[in-house]
Amino acid sequence: MNKIKHFIEQSWLLVIASFFFGLLIAVTNAGLSPRIEQNKINKRNRIVGTLLPGAKNFVPLDSEIEIESLQGKKEKVELYRAMSEAGERVGFSFNAAGSGFADKIELVVAVDKNFEKIAGFDVLTSNETPGFGDQIKYDYFRDQFVGAPAGELKPVSLGEPATIDAEIVTISGATISSEAVVEIISHSITQIKEQMQEKGLIGNGKQQ
Amino acid sequence: MANNSDAKAALYTQTLLAGLWRENPVFRLLLGMCPTLAVTAAVKPALTMGCCVIFVLLCSNIVVSLMRNLLKPHLRILMFTLTISTFVTIADLFLKAFVPRMSEMLGPYVPLIIVNCIIICRAEACASKNGLAVSVIDALGMGVGFTLTLCVLAGVREILGTGALFEIEILRAHSQGGWFVPWAAMSMPVGAFITLGLLLGLVNAVSKKTKH
Repeated sequence: MNKIKHFIEQSWLLVIASFFFGLLIAVTNAGLSPRIEQNKINKRNRIVGTLLPGAKNFVPLDSEIEIESLQGKKEKVELYRAMSEAGERVGFSFNAAGSGFADKIELVVAVDKNFEKIAGFDVLTSNETPGFGDQIKYDYFRDQFVGAPAGELKPVSLGEPATIDAEIVTISGATISSEAVVEIISHSITQIKEQMQEKGLIGNGKQQ
Repeated sequence: MANNSDAKAALYTQTLLAGLWRENPVFRLLLGMCPTLAVTAAVKPALTMGCCVIFVLLCSNIVVSLMRNLLKPHLRILMFTLTISTFVTIADLFLKAFVPRMSEMLGPYVPLIIVNCIIICRAEACASKNGLAVSVIDALGMGVGFTLTLCVLAGVREILGTGALFEIEILRAHSQGGWFVPWAAMSMPVGAFITLGLLLGLVNAVSKKTKH
């Protein structure tokens, strides 16, 4: 009995404070979470909207797609159908991530409506070296992906960046970062495409 | 009566000024080095970080000061951390909701305010021993002192690293036809260490001179 009394005497303030602080955080979270969610959606829509002109609404795909990440972990892909205002499918978008030079690189990739060509990508988060690795955000690198086949991509150090094909010319001075981007996109896009073809969500390219 | 209020006013001014110069958290106490080095590549994130720290410091000093007589000595650090983490989480949620881009830029450094030594140091050294008024003034002095220091550091780094201040171009870059070649190193961690070291040396030199 004395033990319990001692315990309560010592800890009543902690217990009450924990309860009160927990309540405070819960209330703030409840008040702000719709706004935070909306911010995330707005950001994705803004990015994919510029990559896929005409995209207005984004509908998550009904069936789940899981890919093996570059580290060999199974990961669920956030895959969205991008719809035009008239309700037509204009393409797909998904998030892909992998390690870059300094830290994790997170990308949003947009693909055309038949999953044949890449419509482009943008960097969601990255911590690459300013002036070097962060050139992956610049148009002259990103433009090489626009119209490239939605399949396996190959990083090459020499080549013509203006030619749009599966060979992506890496940035000199940022080889690791640019190769990482190519690898992240290539790795995720091939697996996603395969699974979507298996599920019959897109044509397998043979009948057409 | 008059003497009493005079003494009080003097105490308040002294507490306020202590945080700004004599006990400046960054230059004098060398506390909170992690955000000082990490978020000072530009002025905007530094200012945001400073405001978050002022908010957390103010709230935690108020709460700790109010419950200072109820604290059990061996549980006090636990109570401080609990209080601080609550207000940091709230600040983090507000940033995510209202300035999402800034929140992304600051990344993990906002949640890391929880382990910022300035706040726990003020809770332990000031708020748990003093009344509400002194604690509030102390929080403001220390918070503003921290923010100003961060902004000075960030200002130096942003101008040298990008040629801009508050993202407004001041020195025209060489690639745009100007004469200034941005020092990319200044935007990188190495720039933070060098600038902080030089500023610390400068502050030491100035305070040595004023003492003599």
